[in-house]
Amino acid sequence: MKLTRQQFLTRSGIQGQTLELWLEQSWLLPEDTPAGPMFSDIDTARAAFIRDLQRDFGANDDSVGVILHLVDQLHGMRLALSLLRQHMQDDGPAPSASTERDH
Amino acid sequence: MKNPYEVLGVAPAASADEIQSAYRKLAKKLHPDLNPGDAGAEDRFKEVAGAYDLLSDAAKRKRFDAGEIDASGAERQHQHFYRDYAARNHENPYTSRSGFSDFMDGDDAFAELFRRSQRSRASRPGADRHFRLPISFADSIAGASTRLTLPEGGQLDVKIPPGLTDGQTIRLKGKGEPGTGTGGPGDALIEIEVMPDPRFTREGDDILIDLPVSLGDAVLGGKIRVPTATGAVTMSVPKGSNSGTMLRLKGKGAPKRGGGSGDQLVKLVVVLPRTPDPELEAFVAGWAPAHSYVPREEA
Repeated sequence: MKLTRQQFLTRSGIQGQTLELWLEQSWLLPEDTPAGPMFSDIDTARAAFIRDLQRDFGANDDSVGVILHLVDQLHGMRLALSLLRQHMQDDGPAPSASTERDH
Repeated sequence: MKNPYEVLGVAPAASADEIQSAYRKLAKKLHPDLNPGDAGAEDRFKEVAGAYDLLSDAAKRKRFDAGEIDASGAERQHQHFYRDYAARNHENPYTSRSGFSDFMDGDDAFAELFRRSQRSRASRPGADRHFRLPISFADSIAGASTRLTLPEGGQLDVKIPPGLTDGQTIRLKGKGEPGTGTGGPGDALIEIEVMPDPRFTREGDDILIDLPVSLGDAVLGGKIRVPTATGAVTMSVPKGSNSGTMLRLKGKGAPKRGGGSGDQLVKLVVVLPRTPDPELEAFVAGWAPAHSYVPREEA
């Protein structure tokens, strides 16, 4: 479900000013539409994560940026690994190198 | 639900700071978004977070301590965790490749597999295109660089590795049809057609050639020029060589897979002068009666 800025603020319970700050840091990347930014479930969940980091873990803004960067890499890695596993199941062994000779 | 003090591992008399610090210590280990691969983390985190929610709220803690409320229902009703979304889709705008993009730069099979796996399922790699390319026998042995003219115009540079045989295929990565989405282009598959050369016959990695030699070279021996796929070389014909004698030119055959080359095998064919030679006739007429031999089985 897509949320407008106002709906997103209500749903996630963060302040408008805080949201501006997060957007500025690119911690959240809502979809840009002619009607303004639209937020998805993943943005809501990410906002909750950021809030946990700040409120429960006492992470300051710098730490949040670092943590998000590392977590994003971790998810990239996990996605790559899962696709790799799937690919190996689908296609069997690794493809041969760039110039192949078919005998 | 368990006693929230036990869940956090603090004494009932613990200060608010102690409670917070105990919670942070546990939550760091258990927060699902900091442990995206740990399926068990979520339940334990909810329990710990619920205990913290209760004990970090002074009023609630007071009521709990007084026995007015119990810990039931204190489990934190957490929204979905970020990891639930981050893990599952290709549309995740936050996912970063910077942790592993170096793995994809290589030229080895692993990198290739990695690149392929990166093409999401919504995207399809382009189809392979098939071509046929005739090359000379010499190019098939020595290798060559050539150009293929594409049906729709444009050209494709093709590097032919040395030692190809008729019917082998060269794969040019990414030179096929374009893919959709993030799916890369397909490959160009070029089937090699080796044009026969009347002089040479290839047998495995060796090259056979029939070489006509004069009577003089056959009887007396001598140095003669022999064509090879990579240019003519000089070869010694030993004295008394007969038709059918096989001479070996080491390393003048086709390159072998994994290094080295086959040989060129030269089969001598003794050829008399094209026009009858009166002097030769006179010599053989004088020579033959005293030196008769039978080069064949008698019937």
